[in-house]
Amino acid sequence: MKQPESKQQSTPLVRIRGLRFRRGSRWIFDGLDVDIPLGRVTAIMGPSGTGKTTLLKLIGGQLRPDEGTIEVDGENVHALSTPELYRLRMRMGMLFQSGALLTDISVFENVAFPLREHTRLTESMLRKLVLLKLEAVGLRGARDLMPSELSGGMARRVALARAIALDPMMIMYDEPFTGQDPISMGVLVQLIRRLNDAARITSIVVSHDVAETLEIADQVYVISNGKVVESGSPAQLQESGGEWTRQFIQGLPDGPVPFHYPGPGLQEDLLEKSL
Amino acid sequence: MNKKRLIEIWVGVFMALGLVALFFLAMRVSNLGTAYTGETFDVDARFDNIGGLKVKAPVTIAGVEVGRVTGIRYDAEDFRAVVEMGIQSQYRDRIPDDSFAKILTAGLLGEQYIGLDPGGSEDMLADGSEIGVTQSALVLEEVVGQFIFGKGQEGM
Amino acid sequence: MTGLLAQLGSWGIETLTRLGRAHLLLLPMMRGFLDILRRPRLLLDQLFSVGVLTILIISVAGLFVGMVLGLQGFYILSRFGGETALGLMVAASLVRELGPVLTALLFAGRAGSALTAEIGLMKATEQLSGLEMMAVNPEHRVLAPRFFAGFISVPLLAAIFSMLGVLGGWMVGGGMLSVDQGAFWNGMQNGIDFHDDIINGVIKSVVFGFVCTWIAIFQGYDCVPTSEGVSRATTRTVVHSSLAVLGLDFVLTALMFS
Repeated sequence: MKQPESKQQSTPLVRIRGLRFRRGSRWIFDGLDVDIPLGRVTAIMGPSGTGKTTLLKLIGGQLRPDEGTIEVDGENVHALSTPELYRLRMRMGMLFQSGALLTDISVFENVAFPLREHTRLTESMLRKLVLLKLEAVGLRGARDLMPSELSGGMARRVALARAIALDPMMIMYDEPFTGQDPISMGVLVQLIRRLNDAARITSIVVSHDVAETLEIADQVYVISNGKVVESGSPAQLQESGGEWTRQFIQGLPDGPVPFHYPGPGLQEDLLEKSL
Repeated sequence: MNKKRLIEIWVGVFMALGLVALFFLAMRVSNLGTAYTGETFDVDARFDNIGGLKVKAPVTIAGVEVGRVTGIRYDAEDFRAVVEMGIQSQYRDRIPDDSFAKILTAGLLGEQYIGLDPGGSEDMLADGSEIGVTQSALVLEEVVGQFIFGKGQEGM
Repeated sequence: MTGLLAQLGSWGIETLTRLGRAHLLLLPMMRGFLDILRRPRLLLDQLFSVGVLTILIISVAGLFVGMVLGLQGFYILSRFGGETALGLMVAASLVRELGPVLTALLFAGRAGSALTAEIGLMKATEQLSGLEMMAVNPEHRVLAPRFFAGFISVPLLAAIFSMLGVLGGWMVGGGMLSVDQGAFWNGMQNGIDFHDDIINGVIKSVVFGFVCTWIAIFQGYDCVPTSEGVSRATTRTVVHSSLAVLGLDFVLTALMFS
């Protein structure tokens, strides 16, 4: 099933300008500018809690920014009406951290879900399509299992099959490598790369797993304190990157992000206690 | 029998059970089952005091229900209560127009109803006619009052 | 002192915001009715999990409540020589009050808490988010069928409760206590008016069904998406539903039976 070709070929698929988003009294994003190029794997990295998942939700229109714009394929996401937003979402796939499969239906039914909702395919056509998607992630044989019977890695692969069911133009991966054993990790890494190359699906990978992400990313954005700290290709980052980036990429325990949680000095603390 | 079918059957059973229960309540528990739903004709009667008579109270002849009270109002010209009754059509032109209408009480403390004593006239009650002879309700306080003052009179 | 006032104030604002969110949820849920017309399977599945699975507890409760009414009613009425009014007493108590109210309370405990837990869990495992990203409206797909299922189920369950209660009272009255059969049913039929009693009872249970299901669904949808959050939401469902039912019962009874 072919999706219509995206409108612009040279401009980035996703453009984020001046994004500011607040949760409570904390500014999660404070003036963020990001360009996601078409047809490539872009990684967004940073320490836990920098709001990477929030960014994906903002791109998908589930959250509203306080300031700034997000454009996907030339359309301002938050200026769309609800039906238009829903149409845009059909062209975006999202892989949640936990897979977010519907727990009361089988693997097959989960992958078939978007097809049943948004298309009028006959049952036999639908079946073939679902099996092909499952084949792409290597889980065609698991089609009758229930989500509760799957391991974490398998659940994510099923969720990936579901995300590509409608042949989207882009997929967002929310922490795909977190908590995976090396084999599942390897499988996932390969799948992301293959999908991107074979089907020209733009991929946005949000992660803090440095090694795996740098392996497959074409471009990397490093985010901290709500702003872009550094951006470039993985090679560029590893060579020239600033102090902060280097601490992050090499996993050094101390640097711009301190080891010690801010507080009084050690001597003070100990002396106080001995009174 | 697969799971889908089973669910459909059980929901069907549930709905049926619910409807049966509603039907049971309507027909066997409430007065709907015994209520008369046919044609009626109107007859009026005037009383000095209707006591505790309510709309929908039964109208009986010889103890058998022949109709219901359909309305009660006060006539400011006449200073009497006008009770409108709906009598079942099968008794049209079958009740003498000099019949006697009394307000009775079911049991000692029960609900009040209207009892008709048939008269001897050859003319019958038709739609819109009025019963001339009536006896008002026995109001308990008045009876007790009479009894007390009556006794008092005797004593003097 | 000011700390206490500040707390009270913030609690008040929090409650009002909650109430607002709960009402904002109503319209999308109702609009989901169109989805249900296109896919009746959704409603059917929910009628099963919400309605059919509650039949057992409602039936047993109804039967026993009716039997207890028969017993207690008999002992009290026999003091005035009014045993013949037993049928009327049992039926009136059930149809007007106990049927709708107890059914709603049991429903909130059994089906309401299950609804809250289910929806809360779906929220915690990002299934609701996932549906949104797949361009499926979770309020229409997930919440609306459950709402309408509860709304339809409660009046039916209340009717079943009342019916079994009356039969229970009859079994005890006629079987154990030798109350005259004719007097039992005739007294009942003469005294229970279809419009004033039965219809009013049904109206009550419809209102209770609406409120209990609404509360259950909202608490699940609005909860903090952690296991602790879900458990607290479930408790809130039962407590709020119960209070709402009892409060509304007073208001409705005053309006209907004054």
